[in-house]
Amino acid sequence: MNNIQFNDRRFGFFFVAPAVIVLSIVILTPIVIAIVTSFYDYTLIDRSLNKFIGLKNYFNSISSAKFLHSSIVTISFVFLVVLFEFLIGFLIAILLNQVEKFRNIYYFILLIPLLINPVVVGLIWRMFLHPQLGILNYVISLIGVDPVNWLGDPQNAFITIIFVDIWHQVSFMIILLLAGLASIPEEPYEAARVDGANGFQQFRDITLTYMRPVIIITLLIRLIFALKTYDLIYIMTKGGPGDATDLISYYIYRSAFIGLDLGQAASMSVILLIIVCIIIYPLFNYMNRADE
Amino acid sequence: MKKIISYLTLFLAFISFNANSVTLRAVMENVPDTKFIQELLPEFTEKTGIEVEFEVMGYGEMHPKLVPSLTASTGSYDFMPVDFYWVGEFDKAGWMMPLDKMISKDGFDTSVYFDSLMNLTGKVGNTTYMLPFYNYAMGLTVRNDLIEDASNQSNFKSKYGMDLKIPTEWDEYLNQVEFFTDKANGFYGVVNQGGKADPIAMEWSNYLFARGGSFHDQNWNGQLKSDEALQALNDYISMINNYGPIGAESFSFDEAFNVAAQGNAYSYLTYNWFLGSYNDPEQSSVVGKMALIPVPGEGGLNGAWGWSIPTSSPNPEAAWEFLKWVESPDIAKRRAEMGGAATRKDVFDDPDLNKKFDHYPGLKNLLATSKNFPVFTYTPQFVEVMGTELSKAVIGEQDPNVALSNMNEQLEELAAKDGKR
Repeated sequence: MNNIQFNDRRFGFFFVAPAVIVLSIVILTPIVIAIVTSFYDYTLIDRSLNKFIGLKNYFNSISSAKFLHSSIVTISFVFLVVLFEFLIGFLIAILLNQVEKFRNIYYFILLIPLLINPVVVGLIWRMFLHPQLGILNYVISLIGVDPVNWLGDPQNAFITIIFVDIWHQVSFMIILLLAGLASIPEEPYEAARVDGANGFQQFRDITLTYMRPVIIITLLIRLIFALKTYDLIYIMTKGGPGDATDLISYYIYRSAFIGLDLGQAASMSVILLIIVCIIIYPLFNYMNRADE
Repeated sequence: MKKIISYLTLFLAFISFNANSVTLRAVMENVPDTKFIQELLPEFTEKTGIEVEFEVMGYGEMHPKLVPSLTASTGSYDFMPVDFYWVGEFDKAGWMMPLDKMISKDGFDTSVYFDSLMNLTGKVGNTTYMLPFYNYAMGLTVRNDLIEDASNQSNFKSKYGMDLKIPTEWDEYLNQVEFFTDKANGFYGVVNQGGKADPIAMEWSNYLFARGGSFHDQNWNGQLKSDEALQALNDYISMINNYGPIGAESFSFDEAFNVAAQGNAYSYLTYNWFLGSYNDPEQSSVVGKMALIPVPGEGGLNGAWGWSIPTSSPNPEAAWEFLKWVESPDIAKRRAEMGGAATRKDVFDDPDLNKKFDHYPGLKNLLATSKNFPVFTYTPQFVEVMGTELSKAVIGEQDPNVALSNMNEQLEELAAKDGKR
């Protein structure tokens, strides 16, 4: 490295240093504190009681039936919402990509759910889903269907939560995928048509090939957000009925702020962080390879 | 020059006035009583020169907001309302300032409060940490117009061999629930708040007390494996499954209230301040038709908030001035006139208020007979345990005996962790 290169690098470092420092304070510090806390029997009640207990919180978390149950519910939830949001989102994005007129109006309508705070989404849907006074059961009663117990039955509650999350988040998929579709050049399609490729072949060999990096980043972001789902559960079901919708983020929140067991909650958060890293690592790798 | 000196003097006077003025800050829940106090606050400022600022928010935000301030050596809040859920935790952590010295110095009379409320959100052991702020004891609301209906009375008597009247016994009430249930026409004998965790735990506690059960004995040995507790849980399950609307397993209090307020249920066991909402034509179609009564049988569940001064309060003396003012007979009466949930006995004895609110004698009786939920460091965690176990029992995922046994075990475990056993 010659002097000019060294100076350039140093100059660049000074430019990025403020951002790196701020990010370290804002992101790394809480993570480090959480990791340290996870090794303590930590309570806010009396800090003199806090004592180092090594990996005990981790063993307790892993052997806890409730934590295991929440993990299973969370994995099922994340898999289903991401899958359906992707399928619906991709289908709508493809259809919208072919629309010429009033495209902005469609964009605006589709963006509305995404602009609403999840707490408000939860409250609105709780009103819609009220078995006696909600609009949904009223509408289905007009076609002779009996009222549905949307949130009081364990199976229904889980499906309902998935449905509401899809309603709220599918726009996110649509917007990102639509941006990807819009950036695909027209020429490969023209060439494929000249060569006699049918619609499915064009979709498989051109659309999917060009869209792969966008699809991966979209799935990645949505996956991480879905794993952190908390507010919808807090407003709509509180994890119930029973523990049918007890997602892991809500379980961790309860352990920390209701159970007052910050050490245990921190250990579960660290486990969740490790799981997220394990899931996203291959996707990141794949994305980097695709970029190259 | 004279002008300059007089401006300077004015400026210095302004500076020194502002330096001496105190602004008290507190986190408050977004409930009617907060609004009523806000309306009266200018009088306090006029009287004392002390400004008061409320940060009004939802219940769920209050605890996370308070705790960081309470753990600091000098906090952000000068006084605070404390829900009975938090009393054990705040006491254990030493976050509340004892008020006894200030009470005796100023001769503040605490005997005006109901004993049940003073024990819940006043004293911990022999120390007074709070002044009861407002109550949310639970009572039974029933359709008085249906009870007074002559044809209902004769049909009920011929079916059950007893008079149809305001119920005083638990079994009598259960008969009425069965009698009034007409699911085919969308009318239910009862609507329950069976949602997790607080709504179901609080409501079922009334069933437990009504059946003569209790949570623990004096030594904190769990009493939830008793016959009374099992009977109470079976009653609750039967109410939701046989006599209530679908979805009650997930109802919070507002959703259950709406069913009753739209005239679709005979009864709803709820917080006493809902009576005002029943009688509000904008919220209810049963205006003047609901009666609020103590829970039949052995009594219902108490609930209250208390005023406290944090040990981290930047201005404890000024905060005490506020507490004295807000809990003075005059302000307590005026807050009650606005519809506030009073905690002082003298308010319930006031002739003007009794003239205005005909439910006051019943409410006074309700407050005097209400029973308290276990108050200890882990009250919120125990509510969570109860909420999950009861909810599972209601939806058939847990045998009632197992649910009660789990609750009992957890209660004893948490009490032991808290040093109660």
